[in-house]
Amino acid sequence: MVKEKKTKQKFEPTIVAFCCNWCSYAGADLAGTSRFEYPPNIRIIRVMCTGRIDPTLVFETLRMGADGVLIAGCHPGDCHYQKGNFMMEKRFSYIKKAADDMGVEPERVRLEWVSASEGGKFTALVREMTEQIEQLGPNPMIQKASATIDAFKSQRLRWVMGRSQIKVDIEEVKYRQTVDSIMHDEIERHAITRALKEKGPLTVQELAEISGLQPSRIVRHILALRKNGVVNEAGEKDRQLLYQLI
Amino acid sequence: MKEEPRVGVFICHCGINIGGVVNVPEVTEYAKSLQNVKHAENNLYTCSEAGLAAIKEAIKKHKLNRVVVASCTPRTHEPLFRSACEEAGVNRYLFEMANIREHCSWVHAHEPKEATKKAKDIVRMAVAKAALLEPQTEPEVDVKDASLVIGAGIAGMTAALSMANQGFKVHLIEKEKELGGLTQRLYKLYPTLADSSEILEPLIKSVEANRNIELMTSTTLKDVTGYIGNFDAVLTGPEGDKKVNVGTIIVASGSSNYTPPQGLYQYGIYDHVITQIELDEMLSKGKIGHPKRIVMIQCVGARKGEIRPSDLEAFPKSDTADLLRKILKARKEEGWPYLSKICCMDAKKNAILVKEKSPKTDVVILFGDLRVYKEYEDFYRKARDLEVRFIRHIEEVSPEITKTSEGELQVATFDAMSGLEVKFPADWVVLSTPLIPNKDEVMLARMLKIPIGTDGFLMEAHLKLRPVDTNVDGVFIAGTVSGPKDVSESIISGEAAAARASILMGNKKVRTEAITAVVDEELCIGCGLCEEICPYGAPKVEEGKSKILEILCRGCGSCSAECPRQAITMRHFGDHQLLAQVKALLTPQA
Repeated sequence: MVKEKKTKQKFEPTIVAFCCNWCSYAGADLAGTSRFEYPPNIRIIRVMCTGRIDPTLVFETLRMGADGVLIAGCHPGDCHYQKGNFMMEKRFSYIKKAADDMGVEPERVRLEWVSASEGGKFTALVREMTEQIEQLGPNPMIQKASATIDAFKSQRLRWVMGRSQIKVDIEEVKYRQTVDSIMHDEIERHAITRALKEKGPLTVQELAEISGLQPSRIVRHILALRKNGVVNEAGEKDRQLLYQLI
Repeated sequence: MKEEPRVGVFICHCGINIGGVVNVPEVTEYAKSLQNVKHAENNLYTCSEAGLAAIKEAIKKHKLNRVVVASCTPRTHEPLFRSACEEAGVNRYLFEMANIREHCSWVHAHEPKEATKKAKDIVRMAVAKAALLEPQTEPEVDVKDASLVIGAGIAGMTAALSMANQGFKVHLIEKEKELGGLTQRLYKLYPTLADSSEILEPLIKSVEANRNIELMTSTTLKDVTGYIGNFDAVLTGPEGDKKVNVGTIIVASGSSNYTPPQGLYQYGIYDHVITQIELDEMLSKGKIGHPKRIVMIQCVGARKGEIRPSDLEAFPKSDTADLLRKILKARKEEGWPYLSKICCMDAKKNAILVKEKSPKTDVVILFGDLRVYKEYEDFYRKARDLEVRFIRHIEEVSPEITKTSEGELQVATFDAMSGLEVKFPADWVVLSTPLIPNKDEVMLARMLKIPIGTDGFLMEAHLKLRPVDTNVDGVFIAGTVSGPKDVSESIISGEAAAARASILMGNKKVRTEAITAVVDEELCIGCGLCEEICPYGAPKVEEGKSKILEILCRGCGSCSAECPRQAITMRHFGDHQLLAQVKALLTPQA
């Protein structure tokens, strides 16, 4: 082994891996049994199935400062629970979309299939991911993470995501567009309600500045939130209406 | 939290496996500094008699109510440590393992400092989760001492007889009028060349005579409900419906022999183009006579066509029936992708039978690939000794069958050795076709919730380790329903499935999964999404609230991750427990 002197400045990322008990955790075990070596940056958390991983768990992990998240499960068709990995795959497409929107680089959040016999693949994967994230540097402060987590906790978004796991009588592309647009709306709305919660009553202009959204979008969301009984008017400021959480 | 967590941490040297890389004493000292840790020690081998005794002693001495062992993988050693905890009065689910061997010392052998740091992280994460663990019980259910065997072919009858001889009641159903399945259509069996009836008839007689076996022919499974130990099955036959209550089910419904579509190798167009199984029937009736030449073609409709990703993508949305239909359609167009295992031997057997009766007949076997396994190599030599001609053709180019102007069949192919085209006039052309999944399997698989593999056969729980179990507890598979098998392999699998089922019925009780889903009824709005998502049918919405039938829940947690209200949590792998691990790793001081 070539010994490299590590400079103190070298960035050491922390990567959290959620591995399913039946395939990927066993694959990681095999990497050990085979005495393969990979960078010590990864911490493995065992779950029974990738189908069990809630999107909020991924975003919470990123918010707490993980530089990368790896979700590893059984290959398609090999799931111990028949289709947990398929469900994760679908769910992951939403996670990915929201992560992209937050400005999280795609290399940081990955879903991979690693079987119990693929110790080598697991090793290569950890090496590759560690290298890539070293290049990217630390996980940037994700301003939108809290709003995204709130959105992924919301019944509205979870319902449409969940429905897409089963047969829907709508063309897949169209359904996907609907989910994406609801996801987008929910994240923005939760950014608004978070701002109102933290800062008290605000005007549309102020909300636009805080969230970085167009005032027209803020107005649209405020109308919806008012209709749903989430916000109402709270007087005026500089001849503009103030809004507050109910 | 009802009681204050008192965590004991036991760090294993594992000889030099861990201790040679990770600074174990340093990790032990570190563990002592962690919140909720009341005791930490290290052992040379925690899994040794002495190590286990140390755990039990420390539990008593320090009044520990949570145990963390930092050593190897829970996949092998968790049950051992759990039992030690249980023996010392700590619920077996109040135990957590920190894998600092496979995931640390073994993969970072050249970085002891980094490995020690990582081991500390892993221990800290395990302690954080341990503090939140809750005691769990594995529900125990009674197992009814009766079994339902579906299919009275060689595998089904073997299984039924084996269980009946152990004293269990067996309901054996067969969709056809007669017993014997596919074997019945065979003339002689390889490699002994014994008559199939020599094996079948005594078996059928024993089955019919056995008092513990209730035999129902022309009968199929109409509906099944229940779970391991207690299935209610509705059987439908000539005398109407009949209900039976059984503890286990063995599916031995067999497979079919592939009939080529009309026109494939001129099958169905020319009378003298037949399949191997049709040749069997002709041989048994002595109809084949003394032809000048018989040409056999191997791998007809087999080992062609790939599983397309689109077939797989369709899986999560569509049910198994849809998938199978899709596969069947694709296979019809492209052929079956797998190796059917029996056709090579079958062709040789029939070639030998022809040669023995009519030595002057020239038997030519055209193959792209020939597989002889186990002791069957001798059988192949026997065929060669009898001057059966084996000719390898270029695999990419299928042999072509035409009729000469004299009305004689002619097979043209490219010889792989010379690369030249060769032509064989033939009296008979025999196509070796694979065993393929039965169409009835669809309904059966759907009723029993057994997954269907991408090849269309029922899937075993684990290809290597659990070959006769299915993903559904208490339901087993035997014979060719899970893929091509010859007679002896079918018998083996029948015996194996019977043994697996008998263990359950013999024990009278079975413990089921403790890691199941739990619904928070306050949060649940009864939308029913969990009901539709669950592959096992565990959640049921009743009176506006989802209820999990624990006996059916396998603990995958998909419902939990999809619940619109986040109302479902998993025992032992709850979101709060997983988050505690993440938090302990990333923000340890908080």
